[in-house]
Amino acid sequence: MTSYALFLGCTIPARQPHYELAARKSLAKLGIELIDLDDMTCCAPPPLQSIDLETSLAIAAYNICLAEEADLNIVTLCTGCFESLAMANTLLKEKEELRERVNKILANVGKEFKGNKEVRHYLQVLMNDVGLNNLKKSVVKPLSKLKVAAFSGCHLLRPSTLLRFDDPERPKIFDNLIEALDAKSIWYRNKLKCCGGLLRGYADDVALAIARDKIVNASRSGADCISTLCPFCFLTLDLGQMLIKTTYKEEYNIPVIHYAELLSISLGVDPKELALDFHKVKLDPVLNKIG
Amino acid sequence: MEEINVGVFLSDCGKQLTGILNFEEIANHLKGVQQVSIVAVGSEFWRGQGLKTIVEAVKSGKINRVVVAESIPKIGEINIAEALEAVGLNPNFVEVLDIKDNCAWPHRDAPKEATEKAKAMLLAAIERVKLAEPIEKLEFPAVKSVLVIGGGLAGMQAAEDLADMGFEVYLVEKEPFLGGLAAKAGHFFPTDDCAICIQSPASDVKTITHTSRKCVYRSGFSEIPNLNVLTNSRVVKVEGAPGNYKVTVERKPRYVNEEKCVACDLCASVCPVEVPDEYNARLKNRKAIYVNTPLVYPPAYVIDAEACKFEKCAKCVEVCPTKAIELNQKSKKVTLNVGSIIVATGFREYDPSVIKEYHYGEYPDVITQLELARMIDAFGPTKGVIIRPSDKKPAKRIVFVQCVGSRDRRWNPYCSSICCMISLKHATLIKSAFPDTDVTICYIDVRTTGREHEYYYERAREMGIKFVKGRPTEILHDPEANLLIVDVEDELLRRFLELEADLVVLSPAMVPVEDTKELAEMLGLELDKDGFFKEYNAKLRPTETKKRGIFICGGATFPKDAPTTSLQAHSAAVKAAKFLLNGKIVKDQRTAYVNEDYCGDCEFCPVTCPYGAITLMEKADGHFVAHVDDLLCEGCGVCVGTCPVGAIELRHLKPSQISAQMKALLSVNGTSKPLVLAFCCSECGHAAVDSSGMAMLNYPANVRVLRVPCTGVLQVQHILEAFKAGAQGVMVVGCKSDGCHYEVGSQKTQKKVELAKTLLKEYGVEPERLEMFNMVYIEGDKFAEAAKAMTERVEKLGALQLA
Amino acid sequence: MAKGTQKKASTKDFAKEITSSLGGETITLCYQCGTCAASCPVAKVTDKYNPREVIRLALLGLRDEVLTGGAIWLCSSCYNCQERCPQKVEIADVIYALRNIAIREGNVPNIYAEFAAGLMSEGRIVPISKFLEKKRAEYGLPQLKPAGVEAVRKILSATGFDKIQFKKGEAQ
Repeated sequence: MTSYALFLGCTIPARQPHYELAARKSLAKLGIELIDLDDMTCCAPPPLQSIDLETSLAIAAYNICLAEEADLNIVTLCTGCFESLAMANTLLKEKEELRERVNKILANVGKEFKGNKEVRHYLQVLMNDVGLNNLKKSVVKPLSKLKVAAFSGCHLLRPSTLLRFDDPERPKIFDNLIEALDAKSIWYRNKLKCCGGLLRGYADDVALAIARDKIVNASRSGADCISTLCPFCFLTLDLGQMLIKTTYKEEYNIPVIHYAELLSISLGVDPKELALDFHKVKLDPVLNKIG
Repeated sequence: MEEINVGVFLSDCGKQLTGILNFEEIANHLKGVQQVSIVAVGSEFWRGQGLKTIVEAVKSGKINRVVVAESIPKIGEINIAEALEAVGLNPNFVEVLDIKDNCAWPHRDAPKEATEKAKAMLLAAIERVKLAEPIEKLEFPAVKSVLVIGGGLAGMQAAEDLADMGFEVYLVEKEPFLGGLAAKAGHFFPTDDCAICIQSPASDVKTITHTSRKCVYRSGFSEIPNLNVLTNSRVVKVEGAPGNYKVTVERKPRYVNEEKCVACDLCASVCPVEVPDEYNARLKNRKAIYVNTPLVYPPAYVIDAEACKFEKCAKCVEVCPTKAIELNQKSKKVTLNVGSIIVATGFREYDPSVIKEYHYGEYPDVITQLELARMIDAFGPTKGVIIRPSDKKPAKRIVFVQCVGSRDRRWNPYCSSICCMISLKHATLIKSAFPDTDVTICYIDVRTTGREHEYYYERAREMGIKFVKGRPTEILHDPEANLLIVDVEDELLRRFLELEADLVVLSPAMVPVEDTKELAEMLGLELDKDGFFKEYNAKLRPTETKKRGIFICGGATFPKDAPTTSLQAHSAAVKAAKFLLNGKIVKDQRTAYVNEDYCGDCEFCPVTCPYGAITLMEKADGHFVAHVDDLLCEGCGVCVGTCPVGAIELRHLKPSQISAQMKALLSVNGTSKPLVLAFCCSECGHAAVDSSGMAMLNYPANVRVLRVPCTGVLQVQHILEAFKAGAQGVMVVGCKSDGCHYEVGSQKTQKKVELAKTLLKEYGVEPERLEMFNMVYIEGDKFAEAAKAMTERVEKLGALQLA
Repeated sequence: MAKGTQKKASTKDFAKEITSSLGGETITLCYQCGTCAASCPVAKVTDKYNPREVIRLALLGLRDEVLTGGAIWLCSSCYNCQERCPQKVEIADVIYALRNIAIREGNVPNIYAEFAAGLMSEGRIVPISKFLEKKRAEYGLPQLKPAGVEAVRKILSATGFDKIQFKKGEAQ
C-alpha cells in the first residue's frame, strides 16, 4: 500500500471539510494510505509570502522536514499548499545558498532540510501511484453525461519552472483525470486564467469582477459544473455566485464541485456521505444528471 | 658543433639615451661574458651604417649570433632579421630588444637602476641566442581551389569572386536549387529590389556587349569558367590540411539530367503524385517532379524521391522531349581537393510552435514572415495575393508580432537584427499592392539602424501602417467568427487591446541552420554562445576563423541583411584567395614538437590545443604518442604548459632558454631593492609593458620582464624556479581571460597561478609574492601600477626565506 | 497611477535594494515589453494595477509611490506574467519582495495583519473554529492533529517576523 503524509493546510480544515472528506474516502478506495502527522502548520502560501519570503520558506521547509523524519512523501489537496511546499522543496534542493540560509533558521527548532522527499498533489498520486487505467477500472458510477469545465487554478501549474507539474500552456493531466471518470472536460474561454481568489479581503470588487469572468465563460460553454482543486477557487466561484447575484444582479447557478467529490461519487461513495451541504450553489442538477 | 660567437650591438638612439643608461658600463660588463665576441655601441643599428656593421660581422664569420638593443618600432626587428637572413644567419639566432621603451624611458628617474636592468636584459638575450636552434622555413602545398559550402547569397557572391580570380570553385548546396533564404524572401530592404533573380532559367545572361553590375540576372553566373555548382549535395567528410584539404561530398540523385532538361514542365503536368509544397509554406501542392518556382537555378527539374513512384509510374519519362529523366540515378560521393574552405550556410527561421501562447501550427492563420514572403512573391503559390490559409479568403486585417523567440531568454536571448525591417518591408509591400488592408505591427522596439532604414520606417507610417508598442501575451481564436484576436497592451495608450485579425504574422528568431554543430565539428570550428560560427577576431578578422584556411561569411555568423551579407562574402573571398595566392603556404617552424620518448599518451595536449594541431599517432608497437601538425600549430605553447612530463617543447622557446633567461634577468641587481620577475605574454601582456614605456610612465627597474608567446606555456615549476633563482616576487601578465589571443592560455594560467600559490604556502612562502594580472595593450598604466604595487608588497614582506 | 509631470524625487538605489532582496533579484532585466500587463487578470479589470507600470516606477526609483501605494497589493499571485515574461523576470516574486519591504516599513493592509496574528497565535493563517473541529467526528473525519505552534513561533523569532509592526495598515 502506498503511504503519504497528508498535508491539510489551513483553509480546508477551516472551511471545507467536504473536500477533505471526499479526498480521504476516494483515496482510501484507491488503496492510498494517508497518514496524519503531528505538528504540521500553515504551508506559508502567498499571503504569508507577501509578508516575508524568508519566513515562508522556513515554515514550508519545516513542514517538509516533518515528512522527511517520518520517511514519507507529502500529498496535498489544496493547490496553494502544493505550490508553497513543492516550490520550497525544489528551491531548497537546487539552491545551496538558500538551503544553508533556511537550515540556519530551522536549527532553532532542531530541524534540518535534507531534500530527500517529494511533495505531490493528489492528482499526481492518482496519475502515478494509482494510474489512469486502474482509476478507470475502479469507476463504478461513470459520470457519462457530465460536461465539466475543469479549473485547476493557478498554483497547480505555475510557476512551471519550479512546480513542473504539467505543460503550463497545454495542461492535460486534470482533463485526463476527469475523462477517466467518463465525464467530458470541455473547452471554455480563458480556462487557465486566475479566479482572483487571493484578492478577497483586500479588494473584493476586483476579485469579484475576475471571478465573474470565469463564471460567465464556463456558463457560456454549456458546462454542467465547474470542477476545482483549490479551496480558494471553490470559495470564489461558489460563494462568489451569491455575491454576483447581489452585486451584478446576474444568476448563473452553475454548480462548483471539487474533483475529489466527483471522484468519490464515481467510485461509488454515496453523495449523502459527502457533506455536500457546504456547497452554496446546489448540486442537484449535477447529481440528477449523474443518476 | 660550431663555436658560438655572439655579437652585441647597443644603440644609444643618437645619444638620446646616454643621459639615462651608462653604455660604457653596460658594454664593459658584457665584454666579460663567455662566448661574446663583439660588443659595439653606436647611434643606430637597425638600418644604414649600423646595420651594415652587423651584416659585415656575420659575413666575415666573426659572429654567428646577434643581440641588438635598439629603440625603434618593431619594424626594426624585421629589417635586421631579413638583412641577416640574406647573409645566411637563421632568424632565430637574432634577438632584438627595445632598450628604450622597456628600460630607459620607464626608469629614467633612476639611471643607476636602469643601467643595472639593461645589463640584465642583455645578459638574458645573450643566453637566449646562445641556446637557440635554427628555425626552418616550411613550405606546404596550396591547391588553388576553394570549396564554398552553401549556395545562398553569400556563397554565390564569394564563389563568383573567386572563380573570376581564376580559382577552381566548388559551390556545394544541399537543396536542389541555389538561392537559399534570399530567393524565398523575394525582395530586399531598403530598396525593395528583387532578391537574387539568379533563379531565372533564361538568366545569367552574359552578352558580349553587356554584363550588368547591378543585377544578378544579367551576371552570367553559369558562364563563369571554374565555377562548379553542386546542388543536392552535402559535405560529409573533411580531411587533409589547410592548403590541401580532401573533402568528401555526397551528391543526392536529382533523377534529372541537368544538361538535358529544358524546364518545359511536361513531366510535372503528367505526374500523378501530389504532395504539400513545403517550399511554398504548404499553401499549395506540388508534384513529385518539380521546381520551387518558375525562376530557379539550375534550371532543371528535380524528383522528390519520397513521393515519386519511380518505375511503377514513369509517366514523366515517357513525355520528356529530351530524355532528361534518369530514374536509375544513384547517390554518389565525390572527393574534392581544395586549398581553402568558405562556410556560407546561412540561417533559418526558428520554429515558433514551441511558443505555445502564439498557437503557431495550431491556428492555420498564424504564419511566419517567410511564409508571408511566399504569398507576396508574384511567382509564389498565391500569385501575390495575401490569403488566410484557413479559408483561402483574402486577408484584410493583418497583425505582425515582433520578437517571437528573439530577445527572449526562454528561447533565443539575442536580437535577430533584421526582423523589424522585414516586417516594415512586408507591411509596405502589402499596403502598396492592397491599400485597403489594415496593417498593425506590435513591437517592443523598432530597430532601423542601417543606411536609409529610418526613411523606410517613415514611409511605413505615412502609408498608414499602425504601430502598437506592446508585446502580445497570447493569440486567441474566435471559433464562431473564425477570427484571430491578438491580446496586447498598448503601453503608450496604457490600454488593453484585443486586435482582431484575419492573419497574424510572427517574426520568428533567426537561428543557425540545422547541422551547424555537425559541420562545426567536422571543420574544427568554434560556435559562439548563440550557436553561430565564431570569427577569429570581430574587429580585425571578421571572416576568418581560428583554423587557417577556413573562412566564414553571411548569415552563418549572425543574421544579417543583404548588403552586409555581400560585404562579408567578398571579404571571405579575398581572404580565401590570399591564403592560396602563391600556390604554397610558407611558414616558419615556430611550433611545438613532441619528444616521443617522454610522451605518456595522457592525451591532455590534444584536448587543450586551441587549434586542434595535436593528434595521437600510433607507433609501430601499438602505443600512441602525441604529434604536432606544423601547419596548424600557432606556437603558443599552451600544450607545453599542460604536459605533465615536459614531453612537448617549443622550438623557439626551449625550457633551457626560459631557465637561462630567468637566471640572467635576476643576476644583476646593484641596488637594495628586491627583484620581481614578470612573465609577460607577447600579445597583450608585453604590449602593455611596451605601451607603459612609450607613454613614459614610471615603474621600478627591479621588475624584470621575461617574454613568452602565451602565459599558457608556463608550468607551475617555472614560477617556483623563479623564486629559487632569486626573485622575491613573481608577476604573470597576460591577456584578459575572455580575450586570450590564443583562446585558452590566460584562463589556464590563472588556475596554475592559484595552484602555485597553494604550493608556495606549503613551502612557507607568502602566496602574495605571486600574482597574475590581466590587461590589454592600451592599459600601460595598469602595468605600471601593477609593477609598483608588487614591488611595494614585496618590500613590505621583507627578504624571502627559502629553506 | 499618477498623472502629470513627475516632480517627486527618485530614490537612487531602489533598484539595487530590490535586487538584493529575496524574490527581487531579476527586476532589472525588465525591458518594458508589456507582456506581463496583457497576461494579468487583475490589470484587465481595474486600472489601479498594472505590473509593467509597477516595475517601471520601481526602476525609476519612485520608492514612496510604490511602497505606500495600493497597487502592489492587487497582484493575485497567479504567476501568469512570470510564465510569459521573455526576460524571465520573476514578476510575481518581485511583487512579494516589494510587499515584504512595504510591510517592514509599516504599510500593512488590514487583512495581512489578521493573517500574521493567526500565524503567531495558532500557527495557521486561517484559524479553525472549535465548532468545526468538533463537527469533524460527525462527518467521519479523524481528529485534527495539533499544529506546531511553538515551532512556528521560534521560526518567526529567528527571522524577525515577530518584530514587524503589524499595526492596522496605512495602505490605501
